[in-house]
Amino acid sequence: MNNYFIVIPCYNESAMLGKVIDGLIDAGYPNIIVVDDGSEESLSGICAARHCHYLRHAVNLGQGAALQTGIEYAIIQNADVIITFDADGQHDPADIEKMATLISQGKADIVLGSRFTGSTQGLSFTRKMVIKTACFIQFLLSGFWMTDAHNGIRAISREAAKKIHLTENRMAHATEIILEIRRHKLRWVEVPVHIVYSEYSRNKGQKTVNGIRILFDVVLHKLFR
Amino acid sequence: MSGIQLLLIAGVSLITVYFIQRMKAAVFSVLLMALLCLTAIFFILQPELTSRIANYFGVGRGADLVFYIFILLFWFILLKLYARIRKLEATVTELARKISINSALNETRGND
Repeated sequence: MNNYFIVIPCYNESAMLGKVIDGLIDAGYPNIIVVDDGSEESLSGICAARHCHYLRHAVNLGQGAALQTGIEYAIIQNADVIITFDADGQHDPADIEKMATLISQGKADIVLGSRFTGSTQGLSFTRKMVIKTACFIQFLLSGFWMTDAHNGIRAISREAAKKIHLTENRMAHATEIILEIRRHKLRWVEVPVHIVYSEYSRNKGQKTVNGIRILFDVVLHKLFR
Repeated sequence: MSGIQLLLIAGVSLITVYFIQRMKAAVFSVLLMALLCLTAIFFILQPELTSRIANYFGVGRGADLVFYIFILLFWFILLKLYARIRKLEATVTELARKISINSALNETRGND
């Protein structure tokens, strides 16, 4: 249990972060790595009070960069299973157990959360369409049909985490992970997760037009590989 | 010599002088730039010649040929620059990552 590490990338999340960390600690996950991606106000106070590992990028680089930093640090900390978790409170700590178990039992190298096979609250129609389009594009690029794309909750085995290297600093990292799965022939599985879209997470989250920017990054990623 | 020819020659010469001044150490680049400059001035003075070359390639006017070549060149430069920006971004990311990981490790060591 102790070698489960939760990686939370965050940027200006001081409003929710404390609550998210408390939720994880209450659920029995004390090893938390917060990667502060150059937030305007330091989040070290929130983390120190809860005895979390706190890493801070000197400049804002993007969620992909923050995840990669957290994953590398987790490997240094001898994590056996690394769980990525969003800082805006949309994920449920109760979902971690089944995801991490699949890894520790050796049934998969990477477990991806899916909001469409699980129960999801407050998902708008446009958002659903955007994600489904992303799924289709990912299918074209990777050949893997997944029911969800760009879901922040994942569990990764230590060995898989060592192989995966995210170079896409911004949101295109979520597609890059799928391409890395294919490149390293990792065994993946999707697991239904519970997602709550709150007013806060909707405001903090991706705008629909941002999808175009992400697509642009994905295409360029393929071009400049 | 017409006004536009004077303007173009003056512009090309200025850019070349500036470039050579800045890049004194890079002999090859300076030579290439000087050659480019001379070719440019030559064609500015002999515009009919570009038209003849253009006709040979099936393009009506010399100015059009130059335009098409520039579009290609522009795309090439754009891609090269973009690749360089990505490389730069990767370097900055690597630096920020190393710094953040090292300082976090030092912190935990300090607490023990």
